Amino acid sequence: MEKTAVHKASMPVNTYRLIQIVLGVVFSAYVIWRFYDVFIGNPAYGADTWMRFAISGVVLGSVYALVAIGYTLVYGILFMINFAHGDIMMIGAFGGYFVFEALKNIPSPTVGDPHQVFLNAHPIISVILAFVVGMIVAAVSGYFLEKIAYRPLRNAPRLVPLISAIGASIFLENAALLLFGSQRRDFVNPVQLTRGTGWNIPVNGTTVILPYTGVLTFVLSVLILIALYLLVQRTRIGRAMRAVAENKSTAALMGIDVDGVISRTFIISGALAGAAGVMWGIHLGLVYYQVGFIPGIKAFTAAVLGGIGNIPGAMLGGMFLGIIEALGPAILGLPFQLKDVLAFGILVLILIFRPTGLLGEVLSEEKV
Amino acid sequence: MSKRLFFVLSVLVVASMALAACGTAATPTPAPATQAPAAATQAPAATTAPAAGGKPDACATDAFGCAVFKPGDTIIIGMGAPMTGDNASYGIDAANGAKIAISDAGDFQGWKFALDAEDDGGTAEGGAAVANKFVSNPAVVAIEGHIFSGATQAAIPIYEKAGLPMMSPSATNPTLTQTGSKVFNRDVFTDATQGKFAAAYLYNTLKFTQIAILHDGQAYGQGLAQVVNDQFTKLGGTVVTFQAITPGLADYSAVLADVASKKPQALFYGGYVAEAVVLVNQMKQAGLTNTVFFSDDGVFGQDFLDRAGANAEGAYATSLIPPASDAKTKFDAAYKAAYGQDAGKLSPYSWSSYDAAAVLIKAIESVAIKGTDGNLYIPRGALVTAVRSTKDYQGLSGTISCDPTGECASSGPVFYQVKNGQWVPAAGQ
Repeated sequence: MEKTAVHKASMPVNTYRLIQIVLGVVFSAYVIWRFYDVFIGNPAYGADTWMRFAISGVVLGSVYALVAIGYTLVYGILFMINFAHGDIMMIGAFGGYFVFEALKNIPSPTVGDPHQVFLNAHPIISVILAFVVGMIVAAVSGYFLEKIAYRPLRNAPRLVPLISAIGASIFLENAALLLFGSQRRDFVNPVQLTRGTGWNIPVNGTTVILPYTGVLTFVLSVLILIALYLLVQRTRIGRAMRAVAENKSTAALMGIDVDGVISRTFIISGALAGAAGVMWGIHLGLVYYQVGFIPGIKAFTAAVLGGIGNIPGAMLGGMFLGIIEALGPAILGLPFQLKDVLAFGILVLILIFRPTGLLGEVLSEEKV
Repeated sequence: MSKRLFFVLSVLVVASMALAACGTAATPTPAPATQAPAAATQAPAATTAPAAGGKPDACATDAFGCAVFKPGDTIIIGMGAPMTGDNASYGIDAANGAKIAISDAGDFQGWKFALDAEDDGGTAEGGAAVANKFVSNPAVVAIEGHIFSGATQAAIPIYEKAGLPMMSPSATNPTLTQTGSKVFNRDVFTDATQGKFAAAYLYNTLKFTQIAILHDGQAYGQGLAQVVNDQFTKLGGTVVTFQAITPGLADYSAVLADVASKKPQALFYGGYVAEAVVLVNQMKQAGLTNTVFFSDDGVFGQDFLDRAGANAEGAYATSLIPPASDAKTKFDAAYKAAYGQDAGKLSPYSWSSYDAAAVLIKAIESVAIKGTDGNLYIPRGALVTAVRSTKDYQGLSGTISCDPTGECASSGPVFYQVKNGQWVPAAGQ
């Protein structure tokens, strides 16, 4: 036993490389064989089922992507993992929930229906209001989170803000538990956006429902991601963010308000998480004090998968993770309970072959 | 300065008075009905025989001797239950149900029945302590309970030695009846019974031949799902898929799409209400439009209706709540009148508690012998046998017939279906 260990330790670099390549080839061959088996050799599912998997994965992926960008933005600038980010998403979800609840109680009688409520009479305004409120409360929470939990620790060792982040996460969850109770609440949508309704696409003799809420989530998510990319690449504040990410002290010497930029970064990442929270509520319909925990963990994974600190990487990682979760077990013929095992297994594989994540190379040059 | 001191002192005095008042209000004295009278004396066949002339022969031959009640004594039925703490509602509810059964039974040839509900905290230690207390009280002839499985398990060997028959309305752990105990019986169905009846209902009554089964991977849900799987296959049906889901998620659309691709007629889910709601809400979207959702007593309840809304329509679940009958209406009214709230609100065991007490009383009446000396003799060994041989007793919760191991809930669970936003007893049972 000892001998092999010694042997391994002194293994030349190209042997390690060789093992990597062999592993990669074996894994790819297995995946290709599974693809062949599942689609051509021994088709287990019809086109309708594949479409349902894909819809489920893309919608979930777009939510993960939004949350993942929050992790990545903060990491790019502060080199810390903001573990309370999922709970900021929860706050955003509650913001949207209470907007819908309030609008549900405002009467807005129309000619046809005297009992009409505002929520159903003006669904577009309601949804916009929910997003605006959800994003604002989440952005404000993000701002104060940074101010209270992270700023005093700016020059502390890197582990300290991490522990502070875990503490903030526990604090936020318990605050929500005390304020809103432990029950799972239903996110009541406008009738036009009732969950489970959508465009019916006839496929393979059955109809696949392309849900309105899913399309809304996906489109909105893509729009927000494009807006964010433009903000970071084309505006003064974006340039300042990139400069701070590159080198804080040099940025400060150039006259950039580093603390201000960091605050703004937390506001932006909070707003994104808030939007993701409202989307989560509208599409999946559940709000409770721990609703941000699992998406938070998944989005963190997605951010690492794409290359942490890299915005397009986070988008790609989020989408990739969502799709893997929905399609992976079907393609590999695994039980669906193992979807997380699969997602994290792929994370491990990618980190073995590309320790910086999918788009990680860009990180070392540009960071954000 | 002294004025201020006086003020502080007077505040303290008033506060202490208020606290003292609260203290007395919060610790009520035990209800007289639960006090065990000390008059009854045990008279085993060999020792301290009272007026030898009046003793029936049955007492001499009985393995555990007779309990003797002088005229005016009270026959005590013991109950070990959590009466305080987090789970107190179970014990209080069971005691409430049993008390109604006792008052319905009236007195037997002049002897009254009473319930002595002792707090076992629902724990094994508490169960053993309460059991020892009952064994040492000669007026206790039978035990309703215990309520929790852990406490019951600890208490069984103690009652076994003393020859006290038990009838639990709520201890559902399957192993309790598998140890060969002569004294332990229960009139509540176990998870295994529930699964067996669910599979039979799906196959025989609803005529489904292809079902999918999902469960949450936890002891209750998976155990139940496994029984349904085995039984349904045994009956001749096909289980197209049997999978676990991760509990606590908000999105099961991928696994449901997988289930939909196998085209089951019904989807059985073993687990609790949180995940069942998510599943039911996403079924249509996943392509399970005409598939019937069928679940267990962990899903049954108002919560499911509130949160699944229109998607719940047509879904099935099992429950301990018996179907409507005259006896149930009468019991519900009596419960409401006596305790100010609806039966089934504190725990789902209100009805089985009533039945357990009623069965015990019936068994006591069937073996009790009035001696020529005017005393009432209850042969303990005969009573143990009488409880175990209960047959076709029509209780609130269905037919109660004990099998040789002590499983007495022979009619199984009641199936309910959602119709117009309400749980109603399903057809064909």
